[in-house]
Amino acid sequence: MSYTPIQLLENWILRQASDDGQAWLDTQREAVTTGEPKSLYMAFGFTPRKIGKADLQLTERDINDAAEARPGWQPQTWTIDQAARVLLLMSLPSEDDAAWFATIEKLFQTAEVREQICLYQALQLLPHQELFDDRLAEGIRTNIQTVFCAIAHCNPLPMELMQEPAWNQMVLKALFIGAALDPIEGLDQRVNPDLARMLIDFAHERRAAKRPIPVELWRVAAPFADEIALEDMKALYATGETLEKSAIALALVSTALDEADAILQTDPEIAKRAESGSITWREIAQQAYPS
Amino acid sequence: MKFIDPHIHVTSRTTDDYEAMAAAGVAAIIEPAFWLGQPRTNIGSFQDYFSSLVGFEKFRAAQFGIRHYCTIGLNSKEANNEALAEQVMELMPLFLAKENVVAVGEIGFDDMTAAEEKYLRIQLEMAKEVNLPILIHTPHRNKKQGTYRSMDIIEEHEIPPHMVVIDHNNEETCEEVLRRGYWTAFTIYPKTKMGNERMVEVVKKYGAERIIIDSSADWGVSDPLAVPKTGNLMLERGIPQEHVELTCYKNALAAYGQSGQFEESDWLSPEPIDQRSLFEGNSVLRGGQTPRVDKPEDDRIIQ
Repeated sequence: MSYTPIQLLENWILRQASDDGQAWLDTQREAVTTGEPKSLYMAFGFTPRKIGKADLQLTERDINDAAEARPGWQPQTWTIDQAARVLLLMSLPSEDDAAWFATIEKLFQTAEVREQICLYQALQLLPHQELFDDRLAEGIRTNIQTVFCAIAHCNPLPMELMQEPAWNQMVLKALFIGAALDPIEGLDQRVNPDLARMLIDFAHERRAAKRPIPVELWRVAAPFADEIALEDMKALYATGETLEKSAIALALVSTALDEADAILQTDPEIAKRAESGSITWREIAQQAYPS
Repeated sequence: MKFIDPHIHVTSRTTDDYEAMAAAGVAAIIEPAFWLGQPRTNIGSFQDYFSSLVGFEKFRAAQFGIRHYCTIGLNSKEANNEALAEQVMELMPLFLAKENVVAVGEIGFDDMTAAEEKYLRIQLEMAKEVNLPILIHTPHRNKKQGTYRSMDIIEEHEIPPHMVVIDHNNEETCEEVLRRGYWTAFTIYPKTKMGNERMVEVVKKYGAERIIIDSSADWGVSDPLAVPKTGNLMLERGIPQEHVELTCYKNALAAYGQSGQFEESDWLSPEPIDQRSLFEGNSVLRGGQTPRVDKPEDDRIIQ
């Protein structure tokens, strides 16, 4: 049987929280249903003290249930207070969308870092998501990497909501600040010529400055590889470390260009591994950004 | 020896101050919400100020190895702008539960007006509701009356004295504040509130129980090293080390520890860096700066 996100969150918290914490949460959720913002503001603030901050203990099954309840939802990195805070947010009456939006925006405006992370991840489960495309675009302007990642990583909303310029900035900025691309949902589906152009320019500029180029870049740039990109890839394929070579091979394999084949032939062993599927972007990201 | 400065307005201080404080042994500080030297004209200024106390300033202090906590409140001067004060009362619930908030404060009297009393009472009730300690600012003018009146009001609200720190005491007020059972704090602030030689005499006379020493260093001429300087002077003048530890560290820990948000383990055995909660990329360092250079590189080369 399938569950709703609310049922899943309730089950996970019930499994893990103390009786006192659970009773406190039930009372607060009840108070929040009256729509009085103060109840939500206070409860939202106090949640970690009452429920704790432990990581959510999830099984494979839970993670599958989550993806079924809300496509794209990946609660693997969530904490128990985060889950409880999302339940509080979901208890707020939302029929009056202007009042509801004003209350949620106030929380965003006054949030400290952990609260911002929670709010950006919560949006995917809340109503009126269409009201938040500006908020997401503003959110990725942050200099705080953890907040950036709460928007960009394991979150289906950017893919679903963001206009193309904001989406492109998010991907480019991830490379700038050293955040992985692989956890960005919809990365391959939303590749576009403008984004590839920016990434190809960025790579070329980095190479001219003799600075390293993030290896995942080629995944997004390759579908629109031009002469410059191919020249850079050829040079790096000849001189790069194994990880860089693997990434470039995988990127080249994904294109159908004749030039790509010629470059791949210069190191047939890595090319073979890329063609056979024994190298994946997930593994490349994990090696590039060891946790 | 480690020190806590439980009352310092570091948002007004420089990184040099932070470095000197850390070098002098200041491990943890509390920054009470206060006046910025000029009146705020709209609620947005309060909101951003409170946000910086729970956010960026906490991060900035951590960059220098100092644990930063704060108190949230409407100070007495600005209580006199009632239209704005009402909005601050609505804003406070959003901040009282943030993770580094250890008290409601600093609140109390400045001019001793009716409006100041009104917002003092409202905030006392708020502190009761969320079970947080209270930090009371006592007035510069008419200090004795202001101090006694503050305690009378606290007692009317049936708040136990162990939950309250009365700050900015002097030789005239401390006996009564101690007698009534409150945490009795002294601000070592040049030329005005209390000098550290006088402080030594106070501790000699009254002992160390429930006495707390702080700097209140802010945007005025003041000294962010007031607590370690006073601690060292006390040792020099023959006050036993255990009394220095109580007045410059342990009493503040006990008083504000009642919030549940102020624990020695936070700074004695810090958690390993948690990359999920760092302000990464928003460092106080500017492009290319390194915090510590053990082996200077060739400075003709710009990487």
